[in-house]
Amino acid sequence: MSGEIFNPNPTVFRSSVKSHPSRHLLAAKKSLWMIEPERSQLDQDVEDLEEEAIDQDEIFGALSFLYWLELSINRWSCIDLIRNIYDPEHPNTLEELHVVSAPQIDIGENRVKVEFTPTIPHCGMSTLIGLSIRVRLIRSLPTRFKLDIVVKPGSHQSELAVNKQLNDKERVAAALENPALVKTVEDCLTGRA
Amino acid sequence: MDEEFVYTLHNVAELGGHDDRAWHIAWNPTKPLLASCSADKSVKLYTYNHDGEGTLKFSLATSIPTGHLKTVRAVAWSPSGCTLATASFDANIGIWEQELDDDGNPGEWECASLLEGHETECKSVAYSSTGTLLASCSRDKTVWVWEVQPDSDFECMGVLMEHTQDVKCVAWHPTEEILASGSYDDTIKLYVDDPQDDWFCCATLTGHESTVWSLAWSPNGKYLASASDDKTIRVWRRIGEYEFKCVLVLKGHERSVYSVSWGVGKSSPNLDTSLGWIASAGGDGFIRVWDISETSSSEANIPSAKLIARLPAAHGVHDINSVVWSPRKGYEDLLATSGDDGMVKVWRIRET
Repeated sequence: MSGEIFNPNPTVFRSSVKSHPSRHLLAAKKSLWMIEPERSQLDQDVEDLEEEAIDQDEIFGALSFLYWLELSINRWSCIDLIRNIYDPEHPNTLEELHVVSAPQIDIGENRVKVEFTPTIPHCGMSTLIGLSIRVRLIRSLPTRFKLDIVVKPGSHQSELAVNKQLNDKERVAAALENPALVKTVEDCLTGRA
Repeated sequence: MDEEFVYTLHNVAELGGHDDRAWHIAWNPTKPLLASCSADKSVKLYTYNHDGEGTLKFSLATSIPTGHLKTVRAVAWSPSGCTLATASFDANIGIWEQELDDDGNPGEWECASLLEGHETECKSVAYSSTGTLLASCSRDKTVWVWEVQPDSDFECMGVLMEHTQDVKCVAWHPTEEILASGSYDDTIKLYVDDPQDDWFCCATLTGHESTVWSLAWSPNGKYLASASDDKTIRVWRRIGEYEFKCVLVLKGHERSVYSVSWGVGKSSPNLDTSLGWIASAGGDGFIRVWDISETSSSEANIPSAKLIARLPAAHGVHDINSVVWSPRKGYEDLLATSGDDGMVKVWRIRET
């Protein structure tokens, strides 16, 4: 069965380029990562995954992109990394839902700060979205960058709790040792579900 | 430009071996051994000795795979130096002892006991000063006190459910059976045993504005230092049996302070007002060393703190997760650090 949808009708700001299969929220150890609200029926059946063929051009494109990235890290290259992360609840990207945008990225010499805007102030998916952003940036940016991932001030009713969790390296490390949670993050990163 | 400091940290050893983030380190109190643990689930033991020319040489002695299913987050030696405890994200505490081979020589490190009970990731583990008690803490918000019995038996003496969030660290008083814990709930709690009843929380220290990552008692037991995600280190003075007051807030770190250690410092007869040296390190990659003293001019028992050494980029661009003074006599000027680069480094502090 399907879990509670926090925001059943989000505003989509741009139609997606290609259609995606209906997405199901994957079971995650909510006690590990989800902050609120308390829910018991998060565990659900996992849909069979459609393995997508890996495109050689994509690999080459990604490699040259990373090379270029090392040369010029700016808010535009950073937004390119996270714009196509999918929302855990909707077949839309974070960019389409205006969860992330280039002006919300701040780059210092060795620091990247990403602010994101949950679609609704009680969005229980915020920590998962933030974790997905963090994982994508950890994997893509040179290690010299320290990451700060925060929700836009005033955009979430549990702003402090969400920010604290997203920036606790020990909690992040433990979350990334949880296979169910990692799979959920992977699905957000790849758009599969 | 850079300020001049009275002391300088010199690199003594760079010890590789871990395949992932090195979380924590512990100096053996009696033997020339340094233990480190990592997200790679292993524990490394490094040995050290003086070579012919009087240079201190460190080398990898052994690697313990541990069998923990997840990150090994913390390590702690018993005061005898014979037993090593590991705290893992797999929710278990491991107890390790060196087996003797047929000739009675020390052999492999074996798991002598596995302490189960925590529901989620264990974050820290510590032996009391006499070695008769062990404390552990977890994301399950609890602190457990275990009695160490013969033959690697452990009995749980108390489960303390005082914190409202993850418990990040535990630290025993250097001489008394007082336990301190620091938490994601921004507070520090202190616990003692009621001989007629159970272990109980006797004090709560509030003041930090974010997670308390690490705790260290002063060598004389009259102060407690705490390191926090709020980028500060606080020093708390014991003003009553179970009463503590914040007397210093050390600022300077630019990101989370993940670790604090309180060493004896430079012992000298005319420095009887010295309380030792606090070393701190964290997400900004700096090691900082502060001299803490009770000068005669200090008002109302407020000690003074002076930054005596500062080293940037001790692990390159990476976070430093742990900093620990060597407790062994004659080696008190040694510091070890571990970082997100998987490295363990040893430093000697010398007058500039």
